[in-house]
Amino acid sequence: MIETLLFGFIKLLLVILVMLWIIIGVSIIYRRRRTRKLQLIETTFADVISKFLYPLPGENIDHIYIQRRFRKIGVIDSKPKNVQYLIDLMIRTQRSLLGINYEKLVILFTQIPPYGASASKINSRKWYIKARGIREIYEMNQIRYVKQIIKESNNVNIYVRREAQIALVIFLGWESLRFLSYLKRKMTLWQQIKIVEKLHDLHPKPNLKYLQRAYGSDKTYANELVMRIIRKFNLITEIDYILKHIDNFNFETRESAIYCISSFYLSEEQLIVLKEKFFNIPKTAQQILLMKYIDKISFEKDLVFYKKLLNSSNELISLSSAEILWNNGFQEEVQEFYYGQYSRHPINVLDSV
Amino acid sequence: MSTDFFYYIYITGKYVFFIYGLLLILIYGAGIILSNRAVSRNKKRSIFLQVNDIVSATDIPSVTLVAPAYNEGRTIVENVKSLLAIQYPFYDLIIVNDGSTDETMELLIDKYKLKSYDTTFNTQPIPTATVNRIYKSEKAQYKHLTVIDKNNGGKADAINAGINFAESELILCTDADCIIEQEALLKMVRPYLEEADQEIIACGAAIGIANDSVISNGTLKELRLPKNLIPMIQVVEYIRAFLIGRMGWGEVNGLMLVSGAFGMYPRNRLIEVGGYNPNTVGEDFDLCVKLRAHMELINKPYKVVYVPETLCWTEAPSDYAIFIKQRDRWARGLFETLMFHRKLFFNPKYRNDGLFFIPYWFFFEFAAPIVEFVGFIFLIIFGIFGFINWSTAILLFLIVYLFGCIFSTISILFYVKNFKHYSTSKQITELLLAAYLEPFLYHPVLVYAQIKGYYKILFDIKSGWGIMKRRGFNTTG
Repeated sequence: MIETLLFGFIKLLLVILVMLWIIIGVSIIYRRRRTRKLQLIETTFADVISKFLYPLPGENIDHIYIQRRFRKIGVIDSKPKNVQYLIDLMIRTQRSLLGINYEKLVILFTQIPPYGASASKINSRKWYIKARGIREIYEMNQIRYVKQIIKESNNVNIYVRREAQIALVIFLGWESLRFLSYLKRKMTLWQQIKIVEKLHDLHPKPNLKYLQRAYGSDKTYANELVMRIIRKFNLITEIDYILKHIDNFNFETRESAIYCISSFYLSEEQLIVLKEKFFNIPKTAQQILLMKYIDKISFEKDLVFYKKLLNSSNELISLSSAEILWNNGFQEEVQEFYYGQYSRHPINVLDSV
Repeated sequence: MSTDFFYYIYITGKYVFFIYGLLLILIYGAGIILSNRAVSRNKKRSIFLQVNDIVSATDIPSVTLVAPAYNEGRTIVENVKSLLAIQYPFYDLIIVNDGSTDETMELLIDKYKLKSYDTTFNTQPIPTATVNRIYKSEKAQYKHLTVIDKNNGGKADAINAGINFAESELILCTDADCIIEQEALLKMVRPYLEEADQEIIACGAAIGIANDSVISNGTLKELRLPKNLIPMIQVVEYIRAFLIGRMGWGEVNGLMLVSGAFGMYPRNRLIEVGGYNPNTVGEDFDLCVKLRAHMELINKPYKVVYVPETLCWTEAPSDYAIFIKQRDRWARGLFETLMFHRKLFFNPKYRNDGLFFIPYWFFFEFAAPIVEFVGFIFLIIFGIFGFINWSTAILLFLIVYLFGCIFSTISILFYVKNFKHYSTSKQITELLLAAYLEPFLYHPVLVYAQIKGYYKILFDIKSGWGIMKRRGFNTTG
C-alpha cells in the first residue's frame, strides 16, 4: 500500500522534473529568437532614425513611412514588448541628441506606434508600469501630462513617487520645490541626488524664492535635499542653513550637513558657530570629519580649540587633534601633552611588585 | 524487553528523520517561492536605477574596497590590476598584505611604484596586529590604491586594518584573488541609494565560479564551465545557494550571512561592532550576526540585502582534498559563530533573529550534517537488525533524490531565465548532469568534511584557515 503510494509520488516528481526540462528548453529557444527579434528592431530603428534625422538630399522620410517600417517588423499594439523596446531605444537615442534633432525625435515619439503608450501607463494599477510611464514621459519631454503626474508625487510606491517628483523637477524647475512641504513620504538618497542633478542640468539658474520656502519644513529628507541643492549650486548666501543642521539630532541629516558644508569656505563668524556646534555632535567619526574640514579652511589655526580637543577624553579626537597640531607646526604642544601624561601617572614600581 | 526498546528507538528515529526531511523540503519550497518573487521584483526595480545613471551622479556614497592578501605573489599584480579597473566615481582600493612570507609586498611595491608615508597619527578604531607601513602609489593612475603592510593576524584582522584606514562611507570586503565585475560597485551601491525606511547594514551579491574561464587584464573575458566535475558541481551549488537560498531569506529580511568574498557594509556600523572577529574562521557569518544583533539592541530598523546578479568570480577547489579543507573550515566557522552568539538563541529581545533565524541556522544548517551522519549510522544498525524495509527505504531515497534534482533544476531554470552567463544548450545540459550527480559524488564528501570540522572543534584540534592551493585562472593579454 505504502509502496504504491510512493511509486505514485515518484511518478509525479518525475513528471515535474520533465516539465522543468521542457521549460528550460523553451526558455533557451525563446531567448535566442527574442534576441534575434530585438536585433532586428534595433537595426531597423538605427536605419530609420538616421534617415529621418539626417536625410540625404532629395530624400524625404515622413512619419507614415516610419510607421510602416516598424509595423512590418512587428512593432504593433498587440505586441507590447516590441513597442516597449522601441520606446527604450528612442529614450536611449534622445539622450545623445540636442537642438532640432532632439525636437524632431520628441515629435516622432508622439506620432509612431507607441502613440500615447507612456501616458496610458500612468493609469496602470501595477507600480512598475506606472513608474515606467512617468519615466518615459519626462525622458521624452511630454510636458502636457504634468497634471496627471502631480497626483502621483505622494504615491504609496516609492518608485512611482520618485519618478513623479523627478518629472516635476524637470517640467517645473525650481518652482517644483514648493511641493516639498506637502510631501508625506520619505525620500531616498537616490531621489535627492536625481532631483538635484536634474535641477542643475535643466534649470541652472537658481531661484531662491522657492528654495527658501522649503526651509520651514520639519522633514529630515527635505532638509537634506535643500542642503544638497545649496551645495550643488554653490549658494554661498545660504550656508547658514547648512550650519543650522550641523548638530541636528538625526545622524543622516548631520552626515549630509557635514558633507555639504565641506565644499564651502566659511567666514570667521560662521567658523565660530561651527566650532560651537562641534561639541554638540555625538558621533566621533563625524567630529573627526569636521575637524579635518575646519583645519582645511582655517587660515590661522585656533590653538585654544585644538588644545581643548587634545585634552579630550576621547582618544580618537585627541589623536586627530594632535595630528592637526603637529602638521601645522605645533610639535612642542603635542610633545608637551604626551610627555605630560607620564608625569601625570607615575609608575610605582614597588606597588607593582 | 531489549527488542521493544530497539523497536521504540527505531520508530522514534524514523519519525524524527521523516519530519526533519519534510521540514527541510518545505523550507526549500518556500525559498523557491520567495526567491522567485525577489528576483522578479529586483528586475523590475533595476529599470529605475541603471548603472549609467549612477556613474554620472555626484553625491553618491564613497566606497573603499578592502582586499587582504597573504602569500598571493603568483597572482597579486594581476588581481590588483583587476580591482583597479572597477568603475565607480568615488572609489579607493586598499590591499592589506597580511605578513606574507613570499614576494607579494615586493611585487606590489615594484609594479605599482609604491612609496610609504608617515602614519604617526593614523587612528585605529579597531585593534589589529601591528601595521608596519602604509604605501601609496607615486603614479597618478594608481592614486586610488593604498597598500597596508602589517604583521600576520589572519584574514579578519587584515580586513579590520583596511577598515581602520578607509575614509569612505561604505566598505566592500573581498579577497584579493577574486575577479570583480567592473560594474559591481555601481550595482552593489543601489540598495543603499534606494532604501529610505530601513538602514542597509550589509549587502551581498552572487558569487560565481570561474575555474577554466579566460581572464584577460584582470577581467573575465570568457566564462566557461569548469572541466572538472567537482568545481562544476559547485557551480550548481553556488547558483542554488545564492539564487534560491540567499534571495529567499533576503525577502523575509532573514539573511544572516553575507559571503566574506564579497560583501558591502557601512563603515560606521563596522566600527561600532568592532569589525570582523579574528577569533573565528567564520568571520563573515559572525560579522553579519553581530551587525544584526547590534541593530536590534539599538532598536533601529535595518535590512540585509542580496543582489541576485553574479558580480564576483572566484576559483573553487578543484579536488577533494582542498574541497574538504574549505568545507571543514566553513563548518568550524558556523559552529564557532553559533557558540559566540548563543545568547540570541530563542531570545525574544532579538526578535526574529532570536526566535526564527538563529534557530533555523542551528537546526537546519549546523545540525543537517549531524542528522545525515546519524541517519546513516541508524540505517546500518537497524538494517543489520532487520528493522528496515529496504524496498520502502529505497523508494524514499529516490523521492529525496528527486526532490534534490527538482530544486537544482529550478535553480538552473531561474538562472537561465534571468541571467546570460550559461546560455548554450551544452552548458545547461552539463549543469543539469552535474546537479544530478551531486548526491553521489559530492554530497557524501561534503558531509564528511563538515563532520570533520565539528570533530576538530569538539576535541579542540587546532586547524585555523589552512592553505588553499589555487591553480590560478587562465590568463591572456
